[in-house]
Amino acid sequence: MALALTTTFTKSTVKFLEERLLLLTISCGPVRNKSKQNPKPRLRNPTWFTQKHRVSSDDNVTLENKEFLKEVVQDRYFNVDNEISKDLASNVIWRPGLQRTGVMARKIGIYPMWLKTGKKISTTLLQVLDNHVIKYYPPEDYDPQVKRVGRIYNRKGCLLLGAEGADPSTFTREYCGLFKDSGVIPKRHLARFFVSPDAVLPAGTLISALHFQAGNYVDVRGLTIDRGFQGVMKRHGFKGMPASHGVTKTHRRGGNIGGGGEKGRVWPGTKMPGHMGNRYRILRGLKIWRINTKYNVLFVSGQNIPGATNSIVYIYDTKLPARKPAEPLPFPTYIGTGEELSENIFDKEIHEFSEPTIVYSDKN
Amino acid sequence: MLSTTPRLALSRQLKNFRRFATATTTPAEQPVKDKSDTRKNVLEYRQIYPEFLPDPKIEFRNPIREKLERSDMIARRANVDIPEFYVGSVLAVTSADRHSPGKLHRFVGICIKREGCGLRANFLLRNVIDHQGVEILYDMYDPTIKGIEVLRLEKRLDNELLYLRDALPEYSTFDSNMEIEILPEGAPVPVNEIKVKLKPRPWLDRWERKNLKGVQDLELPQRFYDRAKELETPWEKYDLMKQYMRTVPEEEQVEIFSEVQTHLHRSGAAQKLKRKRTFVKPTKLA
Amino acid sequence: MNQAEISKLVSQLRVRVNPRLRKLKSAGGPEARLDKLRKTVTALIKHERIELNYPRADESRMYAERLISDAIRYGDCHRETMEMADFWLIEKQLVHKLFKVLAPRFVNYSTAYTRMYTAPSVYPEVVKRAVLELRGNPYPSLVPDMHNNRNLIHNVLLDEAKKAYRTQKYEEIAAKIDAAEKSVSEEARK
Repeated sequence: MALALTTTFTKSTVKFLEERLLLLTISCGPVRNKSKQNPKPRLRNPTWFTQKHRVSSDDNVTLENKEFLKEVVQDRYFNVDNEISKDLASNVIWRPGLQRTGVMARKIGIYPMWLKTGKKISTTLLQVLDNHVIKYYPPEDYDPQVKRVGRIYNRKGCLLLGAEGADPSTFTREYCGLFKDSGVIPKRHLARFFVSPDAVLPAGTLISALHFQAGNYVDVRGLTIDRGFQGVMKRHGFKGMPASHGVTKTHRRGGNIGGGGEKGRVWPGTKMPGHMGNRYRILRGLKIWRINTKYNVLFVSGQNIPGATNSIVYIYDTKLPARKPAEPLPFPTYIGTGEELSENIFDKEIHEFSEPTIVYSDKN
Repeated sequence: MLSTTPRLALSRQLKNFRRFATATTTPAEQPVKDKSDTRKNVLEYRQIYPEFLPDPKIEFRNPIREKLERSDMIARRANVDIPEFYVGSVLAVTSADRHSPGKLHRFVGICIKREGCGLRANFLLRNVIDHQGVEILYDMYDPTIKGIEVLRLEKRLDNELLYLRDALPEYSTFDSNMEIEILPEGAPVPVNEIKVKLKPRPWLDRWERKNLKGVQDLELPQRFYDRAKELETPWEKYDLMKQYMRTVPEEEQVEIFSEVQTHLHRSGAAQKLKRKRTFVKPTKLA
Repeated sequence: MNQAEISKLVSQLRVRVNPRLRKLKSAGGPEARLDKLRKTVTALIKHERIELNYPRADESRMYAERLISDAIRYGDCHRETMEMADFWLIEKQLVHKLFKVLAPRFVNYSTAYTRMYTAPSVYPEVVKRAVLELRGNPYPSLVPDMHNNRNLIHNVLLDEAKKAYRTQKYEEIAAKIDAAEKSVSEEARK
């Protein structure tokens, strides 16, 4: 017993001494070790953040060779029948807890529509681009830089989508490599969407505007128009001050920004002049009034969707609890059944332009 | 710059090649005639249907949106007859109204403004009823509008008649039971060269600065005219690019109107028939 | 509101039009801006090739294109076009050049009437320079025409790749046809 004790004691003491020694030696080379003990947070971009565009230069390629390059692209991406396996249709039926993928769209303009009651509403047209699934990162593999704190229920996977196919020769080799596994033509825009593991889609799947349904609600995210450094009147809608009646040099200024005494400082969040726009903003709970299946256009309520005309926006199923759909959505996405759809799908309340003039009767 | 120009030039060449390729398939004389015909049609159509031309601002343009908008406009035009009219014409608009007896409302007035493109096109009617000026702004493609009748088809000297608000009331008073005045077929739209007498100041706008043609002498002190002269921008009419950016180029106009031509033609024929029928009606009543 | 003007008809320009016009830092306001552009347009019509700062070149290029396209479209008997030419060309003998030399030269062009290159700037200066020229000018070309040079290395390589690709493609097609013929003949035997 005593022997055993002594051996353990000696072992632990030796180990302790070793550690001390090591520490001492470490203190000799301070810089290298300090970084190991307390590493700096490192910017770790997602794997698909690579150099995208090739340096454009005129290569003086002859016309025939240009044609040949086009032909190769055509053969490689369009003349192959890369049919997505038929197991796309899953047995899972959508329920409120499940999160489907969103899509990338282009905001193409605003125009009015009328309800059956005769009320005029303004709608924004969002053209859903040729969204293809590029890659799926399961919840355990996806490692975002900013992690959520606390226990996470219903972990989501990450679906990488690409939109707007373009000439591969304008992109770098590295960027084109991202699309190799999915077999789709390199895309101009990439975006990640968090999905429930049940809602995963195989790489190469096309998502159309029929992913959404008329009458449901969506959230739209976009980059607001960059307006530069602006004053308070434009940035926060302040009233300004009078043009006359003894006012000098303070016609568009904000006025007082706080009291003195104990609060004698500028409080955080005070509305002041500064940079306006160029920020991602989400507008939630927008109703889909109409879907054009020919051009893949969603007609969504509102005329204040973030972003300029012809800019890219991201559309998601709404998060607002009161606007969740009552009936199951196409899950994981819309799969064509082969029958022909009408060109326009309207919400029940909308007056179609091809319908006869609205007439009020005594009943309504 | 160097890299982009040849590519652009190439695509343009291809476009032109395509254009010529289609032209060469038909006999040599015909395409020229066709081209001049379509040009002529454009010249006519842009006056009659200005709302089919898109917003010329480059940032707001999108070919798909414009196409969808045009198809919706045509779909609406199949259900209601939207006739040819100009600023200065006298119109009668019948629209569904929840609150009026019979659920229909008819308003007669002179069109003093016409603006907007696409489905947002609208016009402003003005009349004086019981010594009270009344103006109603109608959306041209509003589905509650049951019908638009042109009672008197004519143009005025100005593109906007907003100065009628400051004119004597008799210039904007029209009888609500006014009968349709028929023009002889094929006659050009007459221009009413009436000069309106304005009330003395104060006005809603500084009309002396607007370079109006359809008003009588404003009878203002000389300083008003001097100030108007100071604020003039005579160089602006030479700004070729400003002019260009306010218009839609002819090539695009031809494209747009040749797309909607057949539909418009159909509705135009219906319009003529209708006008004849309405011509018969008042004689019966009288 | 936003409605196209219908009183005038214009031809489409073959150059890119910026969404906003440049102010060109003119102290005298918009009038002085036009004066600046007038000088450049006149110089371009006169000399057919000029070197100047990039923004001004890009801006006056659009104006020169507009002037020439109007001259082609309406000719010298159109009063408004003549007024424009009178305003934009400070040296009046150039009005004749516009209608009698340039308009016939460009009437069958399907491309832009002008060409613009970026020019090198001399060291202490960092201003972007440009060369603006009328197409079909009498001067020698500024850049060698390399578009049909088959002897460039990548063109040679691409030619070879094309040959290999085509032969492979034809072989595949031939194999397919053979297979189809075989199956047909086998069926016939049965």
